[in-house]
Amino acid sequence: MNAAIEASGLGKQYRRTWALRNCTLAIPEGRVTALVGPNGAGKTTLLRLATGQLTPTRGMISVLGEPPAASPAQLARVGFVAQDTPVYGRMRVADHLRLGSWLNPGWDNELAQRRIRQLGLDRRQRAGSLSGGQRAQLALTLALAKQPELLLLDEPLASLDPLARREFLRSLMEAVAGHGTSVVLSSHLVTDLERVCDYLIVLAASQLRVAGEVTALLASHRRLSGPRRDPGTLPAGQDVIEQSHTDKQSTLLVRTGEPIHDPAWTVTPVSLEELVIAYMNPANDIPARGPQLGVA
Amino acid sequence: MIRLTWLQFRAQAVTAAAALAAFAALLAATGPHIASMYAASGLSSCQGSSCQNLASTLLQQIQAAGDTWVYLISVASILLAPVIIGLFWGAPLIAHELETGTSALAWTQSITRTRWLTVKLTIGGLAAIAVTEGLSLMQAWWAAPIGRAVGHGGVAGHSIIGMGQFSTLAFATHGITPLGYAAFAFILGVTTGALIQRTVPAMAVTLAVFAVVQIAMPLWIRPHLFPASHTVIPVTSLTNTSETQNTGNSGNSFVLGTLNLPGQPGAWLLSSGTVNTAGQAVSTAPAICFTPSVENSNSGFVDCLAGHGIRETISYQPASRYWPFQWTETAIYLALVLALAGYCFRRLNRRRS
Repeated sequence: MNAAIEASGLGKQYRRTWALRNCTLAIPEGRVTALVGPNGAGKTTLLRLATGQLTPTRGMISVLGEPPAASPAQLARVGFVAQDTPVYGRMRVADHLRLGSWLNPGWDNELAQRRIRQLGLDRRQRAGSLSGGQRAQLALTLALAKQPELLLLDEPLASLDPLARREFLRSLMEAVAGHGTSVVLSSHLVTDLERVCDYLIVLAASQLRVAGEVTALLASHRRLSGPRRDPGTLPAGQDVIEQSHTDKQSTLLVRTGEPIHDPAWTVTPVSLEELVIAYMNPANDIPARGPQLGVA
Repeated sequence: MIRLTWLQFRAQAVTAAAALAAFAALLAATGPHIASMYAASGLSSCQGSSCQNLASTLLQQIQAAGDTWVYLISVASILLAPVIIGLFWGAPLIAHELETGTSALAWTQSITRTRWLTVKLTIGGLAAIAVTEGLSLMQAWWAAPIGRAVGHGGVAGHSIIGMGQFSTLAFATHGITPLGYAAFAFILGVTTGALIQRTVPAMAVTLAVFAVVQIAMPLWIRPHLFPASHTVIPVTSLTNTSETQNTGNSGNSFVLGTLNLPGQPGAWLLSSGTVNTAGQAVSTAPAICFTPSVENSNSGFVDCLAGHGIRETISYQPASRYWPFQWTETAIYLALVLALAGYCFRRLNRRRS
């Protein structure tokens, strides 16, 4: 399968600080990917590298098999909704649609007009006076009507209230359903994206912490609780992601490809949120991934 | 992209058109009167030495009619237009996109940043040139009678309308130099905007850099674009002198300069001073020239100097070099424009932050 985004050893340095460091990943095509991490983890940097707005300091990145923003044809294949969904404040809603139609050869004007009607946006209103939710919808409309193969959205939900978030995600999923469009959404909360994503990337402290299919990740992680035990005595193939101990009890979050047979443990599945938080926590040392976990 | 640029540029274009229209109205209201004064002055059919007096009379009439103010306003407008364009068109062009984040929208459409910038710079730059050169051409039409009067050697005291074609203000507002300044101010604004990434600081830096360049050019660069010509003439032939005399314990010193070059109207006088028969600069004269009877007689002092072999040396640029100077200076500005534009393209395609 082709990769929507493929990065190897990717790094971006601003003056002295690294915004993203040694990132190697391959996001398969056709997935809805949640790019999750705390603020400042490098999510925006990764998306801006993927849209060619930044050039890497180290390593390489290719998007749909081409260097980002290399040509008008490559740009046409990738849609982007930036953080805070910027629009031209003095231009009217209708002007934004004209902008889209002038600058994009694959522009679907009917789709754009229909969405604006359905959203109840006034075509003559200046974009600067739209609410946060309306502005996000306008920016999404621009990105969707471009008919991209890959749609990248940087914290599209951050400025929206819960109802608008739901509405935004619903209309996004409706629009991409059946087109095989790859989508990457970033957020600092996985709960926002849990219902829509089937691929997960966790970034923390400028580094990639985990990437994989959501179902495979959930299947390969377990919470173990039982009598206090040194994690070093666990069998091979059980990697400890997170641990906490009391005098008598140990609670571990482990990654394993095998079922847990030790009767001393009470084994419970982990939720996606627990998993993300464990990987985001900088106190947790993530062991190198074992060969048995060949997630796509 | 051209249509988008026009859509985004419309407000500025309307403002510029309104400013041009107001400027045209001001000149159209006063221009015909100047033209009729010129027609009545007899300057168009004058012969020989009578011309200078007719020209001076015309310039006095124009001053009396209050048109000096219009001249001043129009010259100031032509000088300020590039500044305003640099600040309000140039500086925000990239900086405002980065500041508001709309660059992320503009540069992720199906169009390369190179094309985006090419169209923006071309339309903005041509508009900047058109506006400024438009102002200059309108003013040139309005001030043509004044220019001819000055060309005939007419003097207008210290009034701005009497300045020659090479004077700092006249040179910078006529011919083709205004278009060079406009293009330069525009691209300077764009470049500082791309560098600083914030509109208001970029405007401040644009203003400062442009002011420095516009002061440095006439003071230190323009006079040296072509090697100066030199001539030595009798002090008695000087027509418009500035002299100071000083008799005291240190001796009888004097300074005798000239404000124009006799017989060469329109030449650019760079420096003048007195020399003795050996060609050495002199600033003292025989005491006899300082006796009251000589000093107070009509041109007695200058005749006395001439009688003692003192002559005036003048370095200057002949009037015939006016257009070579115009072309050269404009070419320098356009070369700066190309260099800055090239930098903007490189910067935009390899953004560091």
